[in-house]
Amino acid sequence: MNQVLEHRSAGAAQQTLLEVKDLGISFGGLKAVQNFNLTLPSAGLYGLIGPNGAGKTTVFNLLTGIYQPQTGSLSLNGKNLLGCKPHEVTAAGIARTFQNIRLFPNLSILDNVRLAGQIRIRPKLVSTFLRTNGYREQEAALKAQAMDLLEIFDLQDRAEDLAQNLSYGHQRRLEIIRALATKPSVLLLDEPAAGLNPQEKLALAQSIRQIRDRFEVAILLIEHDMQLVMDICERIVVLDHGVTICEGTPQTVQNDEKVIAAYLGAIADDA
Amino acid sequence: MADFLQTLMTALAIGSLYALIALGYTMVYGVLKFINFAHSDIVVLGAWLSYSFAIRALPLVGLDAHNPATPPPIWMTAGIFVAVLLLCSLAGFLIERLAYRPLRRAPRLNVLITAIGVSLLLQNVGQLDFVFGASPQKMPALLPNWELPIQFGQGESIRYVVLPLIDCIIFAVSGLLMLALELLIFRTKFGTALRAVSFNTDFAALMGIPVDRAISLTFMLGSALAGAAGFLYVLKFPSMNQPAHSVWVLLGLKAFVAAVVGGIGNIRGAVLGGFIIAFVEQFGAYYISSNYRDVYVFSLLILILLIKPTGLLGSPVREKV
Amino acid sequence: MSASDVLIEPTSHGVNILKSAAPILVGIALAVGIQFLLPSTVGPYYSRLVIDAGIAMILAVSLNIVNGMTGQFSIGHAGFMTIGAYTAGSITFYSSLLIWGTAAKHGSFLGSGEWMFVIACLCGGITASIAGFVVGLPSLRLRGDYLAIVTLGFGEILRVLLQQTGKVVDNAEIVRNAPLTTFATVPVGGAIGFDGIPKYTTLFWVYAFLAITVIFAYRLKRSSFGRAMLSVREDEIAAQAMGINTSRQKLLAFITAAFFAGVGGGLLAHESGVIISPKDAGFQRSFDYVIMTVLGGRGSITGVMLAAILLSGLPEVLRDFERYRIIIYAALLIFMMLSRPQGLFGIHEIWDFFPRSWKTLPWKKSPREEAQ
Repeated sequence: MNQVLEHRSAGAAQQTLLEVKDLGISFGGLKAVQNFNLTLPSAGLYGLIGPNGAGKTTVFNLLTGIYQPQTGSLSLNGKNLLGCKPHEVTAAGIARTFQNIRLFPNLSILDNVRLAGQIRIRPKLVSTFLRTNGYREQEAALKAQAMDLLEIFDLQDRAEDLAQNLSYGHQRRLEIIRALATKPSVLLLDEPAAGLNPQEKLALAQSIRQIRDRFEVAILLIEHDMQLVMDICERIVVLDHGVTICEGTPQTVQNDEKVIAAYLGAIADDA
Repeated sequence: MADFLQTLMTALAIGSLYALIALGYTMVYGVLKFINFAHSDIVVLGAWLSYSFAIRALPLVGLDAHNPATPPPIWMTAGIFVAVLLLCSLAGFLIERLAYRPLRRAPRLNVLITAIGVSLLLQNVGQLDFVFGASPQKMPALLPNWELPIQFGQGESIRYVVLPLIDCIIFAVSGLLMLALELLIFRTKFGTALRAVSFNTDFAALMGIPVDRAISLTFMLGSALAGAAGFLYVLKFPSMNQPAHSVWVLLGLKAFVAAVVGGIGNIRGAVLGGFIIAFVEQFGAYYISSNYRDVYVFSLLILILLIKPTGLLGSPVREKV
Repeated sequence: MSASDVLIEPTSHGVNILKSAAPILVGIALAVGIQFLLPSTVGPYYSRLVIDAGIAMILAVSLNIVNGMTGQFSIGHAGFMTIGAYTAGSITFYSSLLIWGTAAKHGSFLGSGEWMFVIACLCGGITASIAGFVVGLPSLRLRGDYLAIVTLGFGEILRVLLQQTGKVVDNAEIVRNAPLTTFATVPVGGAIGFDGIPKYTTLFWVYAFLAITVIFAYRLKRSSFGRAMLSVREDEIAAQAMGINTSRQKLLAFITAAFFAGVGGGLLAHESGVIISPKDAGFQRSFDYVIMTVLGGRGSITGVMLAAILLSGLPEVLRDFERYRIIIYAALLIFMMLSRPQGLFGIHEIWDFFPRSWKTLPWKKSPREEAQ
């Protein structure tokens, strides 16, 4: 098998991978997220839910270094990630998708994936100009890896198309492929089912599980579709107004009064 | 002490001009989020319109158009001023309508490049023979040449600080215009609409605010202020360079720098920035070396942007992820 | 067997080396051809225009690395060019003075004088790229318009500083006897410009450097570096999330672009009929190059080259209407933004517009076939 599918230390299923303690940030006076805790085991599949504006995406931004947390600690495989820049976090092994798709619209699908794959190579300007044999091999390997990934997700025939010309559902898929191309150990999916129709959602639920198994990644998922979350997640964290109000298995969460109140309250607020 | 005061007064007058021009930059940036590079050319337009009106109006009251013996009656000066303001705001309106409005949804870079294009176009059309011509001219005096000497010291060390009338007028007129703008923006319904558009154009439209009209008015107001600045500028510095001369562009650039230093999009910041830039430039020129006056201004700009990228009074912007 | 196993298998190294070297060799051969064939066919006047177009292309293609590929908006490119011009010009001028006792041209085609000039141009490129690093630093904190203003400020500061420099010292004895006091005044001519630089620039050197610039820009665009730069242009936050060190990419773009601009400046300084002056560093000249990149299409190397040829040729066509030249420029720019904001070629290269049959040349494979 090739490098993309290379197995990470298998059999360590319950080993703690991502450890988050008391993470918090406030904007102005608003405490966007407070005391966020999470222990994500390797190959875990966890959900992060909550009403609109609960701070879910802010948690992702804190985990990926886009916002610098003001309190708390964050480590991956025991390695501290606090204070790391976004690209360093990605290099350390946390990849993400975006709620409002952020592909590179004018780059080809292949380039979108290749770009993410080049995180672990150190190209040289001179060999790029001279196109040395070493450079050619490096680029060929990058391309082959990207094509393999595209093939797994059945987008190989559109490799040369621009990302902006993909359908919405395919764009969401490409976001996931692109994140996987960085070879993460933790994958953060921000509302991957948003805007998909019921069939596509079913297929997505299936493929999220497959991604977890095939690529040996732990997944943290933000999603509004309760059925999807309850179906596939092993544990769920519920946020409301930046505070964790409940954490547990889908059953626990479903029956928790605070969760019900938060969602009903949210509905009442909207009305 | 006397030198200090003299420099201070020049700095105040020039600062007022920078502030007037900076207001136009900042207002347009506030609503459309781009640098209107053509704004400095409205200043030039104001200056050259003042000249064209003056040489045509002065003979009407029997004065030599190029070298009047006495200033014209005050109503004529005021009339020229108002005409310049109106024509400049018309120009601002047309520029927005024809060049910028079609690009409302285009990337900001495209609008910026269009603005550069409009600026080049105005400068070089202005240089044509049948417009303003490509040779420098001398602005006839429209105001009495009064100066108020203030005495310092005694006997041997007696020194005078000369306070020219024109400096006082620049300071007073700019002050009044800025006050009027402040009232307009913070005390009227139109101002509220303008601030709403600046905050979020789409939401403002949803709230029933006529966005296009608000933007047009912003351009007209900003251009009127620029016209006023052009008028006052040539009264203070009557030797006028041809419309495409780099002196004008530098004037506009410094005013723009003032807007950025103060925090672009912020009305009070533009005024603050105008005075800061004028002070740095004038005092630097007097006390260090006048050769490097532009260097002080641009160095200050780079310094402030590096320390506080949104300017002194600008609010931090956080990109939504 | 998966795709990567096949591809990692090295194809013939010799073939690859040939493929890598061929464009550079062809470019230099073309430059030799232009040097010896063009002047005799079209005469000195048009040869000079071809030199101008070549230098304009070097500058526009290099600016395109920053503005088109990386999506930063620099309007200080003429500043880098001027730094290169003054550096290269003072090296050849004062070295000639010290070595040969006169600043006049020395040696013929590929003679010792020309090699000094080439080294001087490269030094100009290096100084310019140091400046590119310094000017690129603010780009790490500033976006869009703000960066534009800082780069513009850089050009203006440079212009004023160059105006304060001392007179050119055209006397070998003075320089020999008191080198320190001579060079302390930075004797590069002050406001009137640097006159007396030996005129080494020929069609050959311009087009040889142009070939290298274009091949570099093209290979950069198609490499990991280029993709990283393009991703910064497309979406900076997503680029970071994909592990791209965006700060590094922006600085790299500024440094490489400034290098080629500096070399282009060196060529300009040694062009006959040209006296470089502080005015060249100002924003008006920078605008010329910005217009070329915009007109050509953001990131399109061939588009930008075409625009550079058109715009450097336009003044000659419009010679009788010198007054109207910039008006037409400006109108063209506005018209372009309103009707075709992506520029002539948009993000594409010229061959993207060729019929498909031309492109399926026997040695080209589709990405699918290549990966199989």
